[in-house]
Amino acid sequence: MKKFWLFLVLFVATFTLVACGDDDPLDEDPTNFKIAMVTDVGDIDDKSFNQGTWEGIEAYGDANDKEYAYFRPSSVSTADYIETIDLAIAEGYRIIVTPGFLFEEAIHDVQFRHPGVYFILIDGAPHSGDFTPDIASNTLSIFFNEHESGWLAGYAAVMDGYESLGYLGGMAVPAVVRFGVGFVAGAYYAAYELELDTFDFETRNYAYLGGFSPSDEHKNTALAMYNRGVEVIHAAAGGAGNSVMLAAEELDDKWVIGVDIDQRDESTRVITSALKGLGIAVQTALDDIYEQEFEGGRSLTLGASEDAVGIPTGTNAFDRMNTFDIDDYDRIYNMLGGKVLNVPKTPQELVRYIDALGYSVTTGLEAKAQGS
Amino acid sequence: MTYKIEMRNITKRFGNLTANDQVNLQVKKGEIHAILGENGAGKSTLMSILFGLIPADEGDIFIDGKQVHIKTPNDANRLGIGMVHQHFKLVEAFRVIDNIILGVEDVNKGLLSYQEARTKINELIKLYGLNVELDALIRDISVGQQQRVEILKMLYRDSEILIFDEPTAVLTPQEIKELIAIMKGFSREGKTIILITHKLNEIKQVADRCTVLRRGKMIDTVNVIDVSINEMADMMVGREVLFDVSKAPQAVGESILKVHNLTVKSPEQTFVKNVSFEVFSGEILGLAGIDGNGQTELIQAITGLRPFQEGTLTFKGIDVTNMSIREKYELGFAHIPEDRQRYGLILDFDLQSNLVLQNFYMEKFQSKFMLKFDRIREHSEKLINRFDIRSEKGPSTIVRNMSGGNQQKAILAREIQKPHHLLIAVQPTRGLDVGAIENIHKQLIDERQKGKAVLMVSLDIDEIMDVSDRILVMHEGEIVANVLAKDANINELGLYMLGEKREANNDGAHS
Amino acid sequence: MERIRNILKKCLAFILGKSKSILVTIKPSLIAICMGLIAGIIMMLIFNPSETLSGLRNLLIGVIYRNNQLNLRGILTTLHHSTTIILTGIAVVFAFRTGLFNIGASGQMMMGAYVTVHVGVLWSLPAPFHWIVGIFLGVVAGTIYGLIPGILKAMRNVNEVVTSIMLNWIAASLLVYLVNRNVLNPFTQGGSQNIQPTAIIPRLFSNYQLTIGFLIAIAMGILAHFLLYRTTLGFQLRASGFNVDGSKYAGMNTKRNIILSMGISGAFAGLAGALLFSNYGKTLSTEVHVFMEGFEGISVALLGLGEPIGAIIAGIFLSYIKQGGFYMQPAFRPEISDMIIGVIIYFTAISLALQLALKKYSGKIKTFIKRKHLTTREEDEQ
Ligand SMILES: Nc1ncnc2c1ncn2[C@@H]1O[C@H](COP(=O)(O)OP(=O)(O)OP(=O)(O)O)[C@@H](O)[C@H]1O
Ligand SMILES: [Mg+2]
Repeated sequence: MKKFWLFLVLFVATFTLVACGDDDPLDEDPTNFKIAMVTDVGDIDDKSFNQGTWEGIEAYGDANDKEYAYFRPSSVSTADYIETIDLAIAEGYRIIVTPGFLFEEAIHDVQFRHPGVYFILIDGAPHSGDFTPDIASNTLSIFFNEHESGWLAGYAAVMDGYESLGYLGGMAVPAVVRFGVGFVAGAYYAAYELELDTFDFETRNYAYLGGFSPSDEHKNTALAMYNRGVEVIHAAAGGAGNSVMLAAEELDDKWVIGVDIDQRDESTRVITSALKGLGIAVQTALDDIYEQEFEGGRSLTLGASEDAVGIPTGTNAFDRMNTFDIDDYDRIYNMLGGKVLNVPKTPQELVRYIDALGYSVTTGLEAKAQGS
Repeated sequence: MTYKIEMRNITKRFGNLTANDQVNLQVKKGEIHAILGENGAGKSTLMSILFGLIPADEGDIFIDGKQVHIKTPNDANRLGIGMVHQHFKLVEAFRVIDNIILGVEDVNKGLLSYQEARTKINELIKLYGLNVELDALIRDISVGQQQRVEILKMLYRDSEILIFDEPTAVLTPQEIKELIAIMKGFSREGKTIILITHKLNEIKQVADRCTVLRRGKMIDTVNVIDVSINEMADMMVGREVLFDVSKAPQAVGESILKVHNLTVKSPEQTFVKNVSFEVFSGEILGLAGIDGNGQTELIQAITGLRPFQEGTLTFKGIDVTNMSIREKYELGFAHIPEDRQRYGLILDFDLQSNLVLQNFYMEKFQSKFMLKFDRIREHSEKLINRFDIRSEKGPSTIVRNMSGGNQQKAILAREIQKPHHLLIAVQPTRGLDVGAIENIHKQLIDERQKGKAVLMVSLDIDEIMDVSDRILVMHEGEIVANVLAKDANINELGLYMLGEKREANNDGAHS
Repeated sequence: MERIRNILKKCLAFILGKSKSILVTIKPSLIAICMGLIAGIIMMLIFNPSETLSGLRNLLIGVIYRNNQLNLRGILTTLHHSTTIILTGIAVVFAFRTGLFNIGASGQMMMGAYVTVHVGVLWSLPAPFHWIVGIFLGVVAGTIYGLIPGILKAMRNVNEVVTSIMLNWIAASLLVYLVNRNVLNPFTQGGSQNIQPTAIIPRLFSNYQLTIGFLIAIAMGILAHFLLYRTTLGFQLRASGFNVDGSKYAGMNTKRNIILSMGISGAFAGLAGALLFSNYGKTLSTEVHVFMEGFEGISVALLGLGEPIGAIIAGIFLSYIKQGGFYMQPAFRPEISDMIIGVIIYFTAISLALQLALKKYSGKIKTFIKRKHLTTREEDEQ
């Protein structure tokens, strides 16, 4: 018994001794500003959205010799997001990057309290809970035209000879809805260009999984879709996309189109990915901050015109395609970027778009795309 | 001379209570040595120390003159010590043979090998006449047979020293006779036996010497031949014990409980067949019979612990057939259950809580759903004094830590003091010392004097004869006899119990 | 030394309301925590040896003291986060004390959470009533959901562990269905709408997350203790928990007791969900998942030695360690600090379970260890 108490006291004493030390003071020189990314629910290796942003920061930090780190809240709520951002600021980080609309209210809170700190909010605009954007001058909000990215992927798939397409989104959040809408629209447009008499994107092949993490359930959903004839699924579902890839790998001649970042290394069945220029966008914003050219207080929407969406075009990028190649892609991409073509953004617009191309809309597609 | 076992100056304390106080025990090789003492005298504690279940605070143990340190039952086994506990320690869902070899299994290529074990056990069975079915499950065999399994377990481990802690408390007279013969056989073989029992006549029959404990202290060791039963009782209790139950005559009054055509069945078996009888105020009705003839099920059906299929119960003219257990208590049932650890007590509650187990919710102990702990404590202190319940911390003792006999006294105290008209007492004196038995018998007779009805079930035919006014005998689920105690004789009752004789046309009512 | 010990003893005795053997009672928990911390330190040494000291400092006292000043926010946030697991801990403890294993605290919590959000989003009531009604109905939902396994156990003798695990998953799916149907946020479609300001439970200090919910949780711990040990109901419930046959013999309605006990346990879990989701900025996700807090309640119950008051202390402790992990950022990345606190919690729990098992089987284990020792000694003597 005696021994136990002695042990306990020593144990506590050791830890109390450890408890002395200092933290770095804040650094005021702008070129030394440290970059912090704060995530919401997911980790930085989510194979898509967070990872794309983080890799952009990493690449930038390493190239320009800037310090960077990433923080995660201790629980999922606006109050905890705020607390985490405050922690990063207290730790001396002067640039805060937050991917995801979940941060909208949190950024609204901190942007005013920390006027000396820069905030980059991706896929969202700060608001006080009423969804009316209210962006302070130290904050930049960045959106993407995901529908354009999806459109290009859908176009590429049909031009490449696939006729039966499927779409699996993670959840019906705005960005994911836009990917889907664009994907279907692009597919119909390709059909129109190929002068196909009929083309059907079946409503039952358009679905939301209800989550962004991989699971056997998601894999089964994908298997079912493949088994009723779908050849290519565009999986806009973060880590859950890997479940779709696993399903494709189990079958012959079934393919996947990835999302957010180039996912070709995740599986040999990924023919291409609908990209979102997360890294580029973040890097541009960071550059502006360090060059003292930051223009906050506004919301940017980046699309094909800004070269911020599309499918991969690097070496070997098209080697899993049948016929579709970089030339085909460049031709259509320029039309998009030059605003010659216009891409629907909402399910309502999608319906009108298909109609205008002269195809009939499968029933329920609009509601399905809406997520209801 | 060197003793086979010598325990010197053993002291064991539980908090403020000294369970063993400088106890010396010397046992010769080959003898049957009895240990006698009141409930809570420290007998089980002393044996648990010898068997390595609990450590002594002070004292030394010598086996064959050599000092040993017994820290665990395995140490004891290695030294050739085996023990049959007051409450058996068998695995119910295992077969007999598995229980016997448990812990000393032969393993052959990762598989249990039974061959040798079976041969050895069969030899032991033949040698000592310990008949049991090796492949039966423990839960399917009788208590007496379970005890044989415990004994075989010891023998299988080649134990030379055999400890029996109240082995006869759960046995029928026939089984007791057999056990005594077996013990004598062991002793002839040169095995050393320590026997704890409260039954003085058993000591007289088998033991060579006897050590008496009183309140943790060793009083004396005597040659059994030299002392009478009364002298032993005196030594143990410290006063004279009256063995004769004296009863003043008492007029029998109204009918309290009427059981009519009661049948208790399970899908496989009929336990009680169409039984009818009545218990009247001012009488003690003894229910005799060999264990397993439906007494347990009959009582459980009456008290509500077991559903029954046919029949009615009437209590003081009120139909209680479908009443809940609590409603019956409120009407005036009291019940001392057969299995005290399973039914009678919440072992992990303290003594005072156990003493109000059925009436904690009543006005007296509760107001606005809050328990009145001061009242409960007061109440329990009263009972502890009146029934001489001995324990370490009085009302706050966790019942699990009380000696077996004192647990029984706690139940008795609770049932007898609470307002009631009918007392159903199943084996009320099981595991009690002679002093306590005397006291309980007095209490039962007191009940009768007060005009209560008492239904007593006992396997001990002497107890039935001594205490009851009227006797029912059960055989294979039926009541085969209904006689007045003063007209009964033991031999005749024995024939009824064995089913070799039955009264014609018996309706269970007063004869 | 002796004096410190005495003071400590008195403090603990004061908190726990018992005397004397308190330190002996909580010794297993303390040992367990030490084991957990040692495991955590080893993890830190593996992942980031140069930062181990600062990481350890942040882990252990970062919640209280950071950047050379008192970290009031850390303390209050820790207490705030402890609210939920204290309550799920109490839920598990309460069932456990009555002989039941409520592994379904998660499901009950989810139902409580949903109802509270539903009321908070869709109903219009003036301020104090709105959140009070929301929380109250959340508790009712948790209770009802807890009653289901209770009734199944009492009436059909279905093991409550099996049913409550299944009910957890049913709750997870039901929750998403209900959110999608009734309170989906039309702008994001990724979760429920914010509850109205009138439905938000008041904070204790306007700039800190801590709400009166924490005080409610503490009060519930005391209430549960009181209920179990002072009332006639607790008396019966505990009796049934220890010995069903014995309670039946004593005239108690053991079936009713099982149902009641699961209902009350569910009420505590429902309250956990209700309080959590009446916080500012807390929304229900439409991703199908089972809330982890219900399972954390099991750790809390274990570490709290199966006592309601113990659950309060254990809940605060676990929350403290987690918040400490939060303050290990950025030197330790979240995944790593997660792993470290995970290891601490599991080591603590395992060590505690081992100790309890050891106590039970001490004889056997001692023999095993001492067998050799003893035989050699015997040989010496011969
Ligand atoms: N584990 C324990 N903790 C506290 N007290 C105990 C414990 N075991 C036994 N005692 C106490 O020690 C005393 C002796 O108990 P023991 O079981 O040895 O009695 P006994 O002589 O076997 O009685 P009985 O004839 O009733 O079985 C009793 O008063 C009992 O309450
Ligand atoms: Mg005993």
